[in-house]
Amino acid sequence: MNVEAHDRRFIVLMLAPIFLFLVFFYGYPTALNLYYSLTDLSLLGMKEGGTYVGLEHYADLLTSKDFYRTLWNTLFWLTGVSVVIRLVLGLGLALLLNSATLKRYRLTTISRLLLLVPWATPPIVAVVVWRWLLDGRQGMINKFLMNIGVIDEPVAFLANVNTVWPALITIIVWNTLPLVTLTFLAGLQSVPDELHEAAEMDGAGPIHRFFHVTLPHLMPSIVIMGLLLVFWTFNNFIYVWLATGAGPGLFTNVLATDIYIKGFVDFHLGYSSAVGMVMAGIMAIFGVIYFRLVALREFKDVL
Amino acid sequence: MASVFTRNKEGGGHAIRRNPYATVALLVLTFLVWIFLVFPVVWILIGSVRTSETLFSTTSFDFTLDHYKTIFRAGFGRFIANSLFVCLIAVVISTVISVMASYVFSRKRFRGKRWLFGSVILGQMFPWIILVTPLFVLFAKIGFLNSYIGLIASYVAISIPFSVYLLVGYLESVPRELDEAATMDGCTQFQTLWTIVFPVMLPGVVATATYSFLLMWTEFLFALAFLTRTNLKTMPLGLVQFFGEQNVDWGAVMAASAVTTLPALMIFLPLQSKLAGGLTAGAVKG
Repeated sequence: MNVEAHDRRFIVLMLAPIFLFLVFFYGYPTALNLYYSLTDLSLLGMKEGGTYVGLEHYADLLTSKDFYRTLWNTLFWLTGVSVVIRLVLGLGLALLLNSATLKRYRLTTISRLLLLVPWATPPIVAVVVWRWLLDGRQGMINKFLMNIGVIDEPVAFLANVNTVWPALITIIVWNTLPLVTLTFLAGLQSVPDELHEAAEMDGAGPIHRFFHVTLPHLMPSIVIMGLLLVFWTFNNFIYVWLATGAGPGLFTNVLATDIYIKGFVDFHLGYSSAVGMVMAGIMAIFGVIYFRLVALREFKDVL
Repeated sequence: MASVFTRNKEGGGHAIRRNPYATVALLVLTFLVWIFLVFPVVWILIGSVRTSETLFSTTSFDFTLDHYKTIFRAGFGRFIANSLFVCLIAVVISTVISVMASYVFSRKRFRGKRWLFGSVILGQMFPWIILVTPLFVLFAKIGFLNSYIGLIASYVAISIPFSVYLLVGYLESVPRELDEAATMDGCTQFQTLWTIVFPVMLPGVVATATYSFLLMWTEFLFALAFLTRTNLKTMPLGLVQFFGEQNVDWGAVMAASAVTTLPALMIFLPLQSKLAGGLTAGAVKG
């Protein structure tokens, strides 16, 4: 791989800015974070620095019940459930939008436009308005459910342990479902008609065609979308923080909010950094999956 | 006339199988989906123009623009201007350096490329929240707290991985013969990139810049950590400020929400068709 000298200079010049950003905003802070996680640094004693405590924080984490619950909340509720729901609903909605019925009544375009509304809504605004809708005293949803007689007493959806996760997931789904739907819709529209026609000739019914023609064609999109949603949701801080503040109590605490609470509410930066390293470690595992499953194939000419 | 045609065409072979109940069910379902999608935003708009007295009433409605006056008197205009300033500069920087890097990643072969490109796209799954403490310490040392330099640089940093991912995917669909022809005609590599390839990849660049803008426009955590002076705060911080722990001024919150959502929606409407397909385009083509 012998490149000419001016070619090499061009490559270095073009890559220099991005390389500097990687080093200063990813590499260096991660190394610093790792170092903090081995000390008892406090937010109040930043000047003095922390004392080296070795792996104490990690040992604490691995023996803490609260930490395992936070981990479970993050992996199961925040990420697992919400991603699966979005993939299933996104696929269903894309099929609906692509259906002959909607096309016949000319409802496809307006449906697409309406999908933009939640998508364009900033996550903070989404949380704010849903907090109002779900509010126990003044919430529209409570008034509606009481009027039609489903419930007798108002429910504080975001403060009740039975309803808080479904309510949180509703907010996340509302805000991000359109992107999933439109991505799958683009995939559906790229299925060659001949494939369907050929399957129909062979006597395949609609369900058979879905599983043997449509779904295999969409599979790459579903895998990528699923992984992107996992990254975005697992690392997300503001949905949980602004909707429930990790409450009631610490019932909906997730890794991202735990880092914030331990570091900036309890001032315990050393411990908070250790939680951060666990978080980065878990994402690194997903990173390997992503690299093997998606990147090597998608960028086979590049890598 | 056109409608008659489409109807005839689609009616053809399927007419016998069409089940009226299924049609009605699908239409009802579509309608319910519409309500779910739009209702919260309609609710924001309605809430923002109702007087505080009638805000929670189910029977009466008094129109007012007081909430909008309240938020702008409280300096919300300043927050929007701050946000626009920070985001626009950061988007331009991030997009330009991502285009440069993507071009080299897509077109050149060099040692360490797999490693470097891999690092950049794996940056997509990096938990930014662990950057807050180290960057806070670093910025405190070099005086970047309460300065837009630190915030803008952080925003550029977090938008690079996804931008490079999208742009390299897009560049793979731009034929390499284009660059080769330009080089034959005597263009330098720099000229080839900016005068020949860049115009062709412009739709991808616009989509990428839009994603970056939305990411930064709503970014909350870095702004919260790095900006403490009120006159520097960005819009997400301004919005949350109306949202106290005890008593929430819902009218003001709704007005601020409406003002926050509008710019994003205006960017989305004309671009929507370009945004969705591009996300997994690289995967589908192969």
